[in-house]
Amino acid sequence: MKPADPKLVLLAIALAGALGFVLPGHATTLLTEALILALFALSLDLLVGHARLTSFGHAGPWAFGAYIAAAQLLVLQIPLPLAVLVSGLATAVIAIPVGWLCVRTGGVTFAMLSLAFAQLGFAVVFKWNAVTGGSDGLAGLPRLGLPAGREVFLLFVCGVLAAAYLLAHGFVTSPLGRIVAAVRENEQRAEALGHDPRRIRLVVFVLSYFLAGVAGALYAGFAQFVSPELFFWTVSGHVLVMVVLGGAGTLVGPMLGALALFYAEHELSALTESWGLALGLLFMVVVIAAPTGLMGWLRAAVGARGR
Amino acid sequence: MDPLALFTLQVLNALSLSALLFFIALGLTLIFGIMRVVNFAHGAVFMLGAYCGVAAQTATGSFAASLLAAPLAGAALGLAFERSALSRLYAREHSAFLLVTFGLALALTEAIRLIWGADARQTELPAVLAGIVFVMDEPFPVYRLLLIGAGGLCWLLCWLGLQRTRLGLLLRAASQNPTMTAALGNDVGRVRAMVFALACALAALGGALAAPLLSASLGLGSNVIIDAFVIVMIGGMGSFIGTVAGSLLVGFAQTFGNFYVPELALGMTYALMITVLVLRPGGLFGRPE
Repeated sequence: MKPADPKLVLLAIALAGALGFVLPGHATTLLTEALILALFALSLDLLVGHARLTSFGHAGPWAFGAYIAAAQLLVLQIPLPLAVLVSGLATAVIAIPVGWLCVRTGGVTFAMLSLAFAQLGFAVVFKWNAVTGGSDGLAGLPRLGLPAGREVFLLFVCGVLAAAYLLAHGFVTSPLGRIVAAVRENEQRAEALGHDPRRIRLVVFVLSYFLAGVAGALYAGFAQFVSPELFFWTVSGHVLVMVVLGGAGTLVGPMLGALALFYAEHELSALTESWGLALGLLFMVVVIAAPTGLMGWLRAAVGARGR
Repeated sequence: MDPLALFTLQVLNALSLSALLFFIALGLTLIFGIMRVVNFAHGAVFMLGAYCGVAAQTATGSFAASLLAAPLAGAALGLAFERSALSRLYAREHSAFLLVTFGLALALTEAIRLIWGADARQTELPAVLAGIVFVMDEPFPVYRLLLIGAGGLCWLLCWLGLQRTRLGLLLRAASQNPTMTAALGNDVGRVRAMVFALACALAALGGALAAPLLSASLGLGSNVIIDAFVIVMIGGMGSFIGTVAGSLLVGFAQTFGNFYVPELALGMTYALMITVLVLRPGGLFGRPE
């Protein structure tokens, strides 16, 4: 699918940032969380949509980034923006050996291997009480280096999201990104052209983990709390739902999917106690009836009007 | 306590855990073998079995009724889900299955919460099963021995079913080459529906068997499914003997790990899975994709 116009996306992110000055405090907080999840979904789309490596362990880099950020904020007391960047880089570094092992496989084995690594992270933070706080997690993370205020934090998140989107969009449209697409579409031919599929996949893997680590670090700064649940497999399932709901492989779609799912959960949980049931059923219908997700619908709607 | 007796008790504990895990892992691997579907809802079906079992026992006062009601409920749900959702997706890539079964897991967990509430539920075992026996002069619950027996029986019946019956032959054929099996005049769609229903019945039966031991709670499904995945991936997706080996490996690793190195036990299972998948991506007894 043709990527969306990046200017439009940046404009939308800027608008979201500006909303922080108009919306009431509670709504600003919600929007901030939704945008962090959008970044998380964006990072997974690089793997799932662009490289067609269905990861079921994306909670791994997300939680890893969050814990690294928590350690920096608590122990080193460095400014949050720096902590976010360092967390992303640390996640990228760990992604090299993890990815090297994962990308040798594909399909279900890849999904299960990434899941196993995330669960291993869960086991480590759950049991390593002295360092990670065990099942209690780590609370009271300070937001250093940022002026106080919800709208400031929202602007910061918007800035990071915009940068991340530009990075992802730039990667996908770059020559290297085209090779990733080539490997996805036909591994044998790409290999015959002299590209090493495994190395190409590793590059996407590391970039995806970098962005997921950044998202997790932002979340740690947002919630000011980290716990082993961040590593749990249901988190991986959730973000995968966002990507597919929005439309895998479009970058914008998964971000919209994250917003849609987040707000749907929030609104439905206020409306009815059976929201989880409704959401699960709705999700099954979407997967069956609309394989291209929200973006597919949007494109079809815009296309129909244009004609 | 005599170290040998202690060791023996741990072996029995490990065997009973392996037996429980075998019920859910076997269904998972059957489903994967026949239809290449990774069923994320299998843990939720296990949980449904536990709740149905508790409900049936509460209503009738009979533990045997719970072992009858749970697999029936599991089979009915499995059949309905396969016919209404999965059967529309066989032409799509495998991520669609991951997602649609994740949706089912979500919906089922919430449905259970709505019907039975958020509190854990447990029932009393009948007196004859609630007692203890003495193994090498140490007390051991009768029920755990029963579980080992049930696991062994399930293994034997399924093995005989797969190897010695016409249906088993059809299953193996559909697993190896669905197109050719269909071309020979067999209804592969029906085979898939039957396998899915059977696998869900097994998981639900496992849940009902686990209920007196673990109690029925909302976290049950999402915890047990991970163990089942580990087993199936270690053994090799779609491999019957691999599932047996994987169940034993995980059952023993968890029981002995929890006893001797409690800090490392949880991580050990996952490390085991990673090691196997890296060295043999198809699992110990499976074929690589």
